[in-house]
Amino acid sequence: AAMRSRAEVDATLQTAKLNPAELLPAVHCLSFGPQAGGGECCLLQLEPGLCAELEAGRSLIIRGEKDEHAVLCSKDKTYDMKIADTSNMLLFVPGCKTPEELKADQASCNIIHSQIAGFSKNYWELRRCRPKLKKLRKLLMEDPYEGPDSRKDQASTFSKYTTEDLLNLVQASEEEILHQLQVIDACKIEGYWRILDFDYEMKLLNHVTQLIDSESWPLSKVPLCACLEELGSLEPREMIEHILLSYGRKYVDDGEVFFEMHEDKICRAIAQMLLRNAVKFNLSEFEEVWQQSVPEGMTTRLDQLQGLALVDKNSRPETIFLLKVEDLPEDNQERFNSLFGIREKWTEVDITPYIQDLCAEKQTVSALLTKYARSSMLNGVKVYNSRRPIS
Amino acid sequence: LPSGGTGALAQWVLLELQGEVEPRQSGDLAGSLLGDLHYTCEGVPVLIVGHHILYGKVVQLEKPFAVLVKQGGASQPSPMEPHGHYTVTALIKTKLLFKTRPKPIITHVPKKV
Repeated sequence: AAMRSRAEVDATLQTAKLNPAELLPAVHCLSFGPQAGGGECCLLQLEPGLCAELEAGRSLIIRGEKDEHAVLCSKDKTYDMKIADTSNMLLFVPGCKTPEELKADQASCNIIHSQIAGFSKNYWELRRCRPKLKKLRKLLMEDPYEGPDSRKDQASTFSKYTTEDLLNLVQASEEEILHQLQVIDACKIEGYWRILDFDYEMKLLNHVTQLIDSESWPLSKVPLCACLEELGSLEPREMIEHILLSYGRKYVDDGEVFFEMHEDKICRAIAQMLLRNAVKFNLSEFEEVWQQSVPEGMTTRLDQLQGLALVDKNSRPETIFLLKVEDLPEDNQERFNSLFGIREKWTEVDITPYIQDLCAEKQTVSALLTKYARSSMLNGVKVYNSRRPIS
Repeated sequence: LPSGGTGALAQWVLLELQGEVEPRQSGDLAGSLLGDLHYTCEGVPVLIVGHHILYGKVVQLEKPFAVLVKQGGASQPSPMEPHGHYTVTALIKTKLLFKTRPKPIITHVPKKV
């Protein structure tokens, strides 16, 4: 179609009975561009901060395999994507100027021929969500590292993941993934991220705690160099340092590197080692064995086991069993179904460690309980149970 | 979604209209005219589409849009499926909202005797 001329524009104004004197001199003649009907363009509504990230030249990534709901990831956040329908038609126009821009640019051309690049009745909406990190652990657990002597390791390289692999497979931002790798004490071995096999991890921890005991080092000041020297013949130096980093806080004093050991984390690991061996334990027997098993100078407390083990106060005698929050479903409703399947009624104190990680930004445990559970009183105590009947 | 690469991202404008957009002729939409967009001296957008005048307003978007263009050309079964490679072509921070009912342009007004 031929481009409109000024004369044609003026004629239209006259027919429309619009007074040119009341209008800005410039007019946009809008037509549909060659690709307009193609549907290759779509709109993404940006949450605060994302616009600035794009303008700064940073990328956004859409992640998700065919069977997963797509998420959008910035450098450090993850968002669910949902289609929003409007009842209106949205046309996107490049090079279209606002009145301010036209007024500011007095010399601007009288006729601006603008081509509509595309149009849509809907757009993608974003909602900040928890990064989907359960898959990260699942991937790394496919092949836990059992130590340099393990023959298994030399056999294959599949089921091993580099940072790049994880970025492609896990629906989370890079920062969230790297942070989670730290949280789960993953380490990089020959370029691949690995999680330690629990028995191997305990073996390493045991070397360290025995050395601390025989050298009578204070738990808050364990020297790195001496550890590497004494234990270097038993295990790779990187593994010794890794276990110290996992179970201690690194600091420098007078030019030397020391570790302040995490008493709670060590006690917790030893509890896990004890609890794995049976379905459940007599609570008082367990507490006795547990205290005897931890390093000299450490004190065991049941609150160290939040999200790891659950005490059954209703059985006679009282028992304790392993229940790891990381083994439970990631989806909110599935998590609650699973928890109510394990125990019909929960106190808030008992259930909190098992739902804390479900809280979205600014969401509280109470809010979650209100949404997914029903409360009632039992022997004067408030308890929560399922909203729906459990088969 | 890599952003434009070198140079700042283009700024586009959104036009929001009620109803459907259909070509006047039975042919393709591509290349056909939509209408003339004017602004009054006060900055009110006026759109003349066919025999209608639409008055609108300039709205600064609280949540700007990014315009995504799907890479790879090959047509996918559903264009709104988010899997695939996209490039951010432009940002939209302003929209021209035309919500008022269009005023028809009357070409012949019989004079009262």
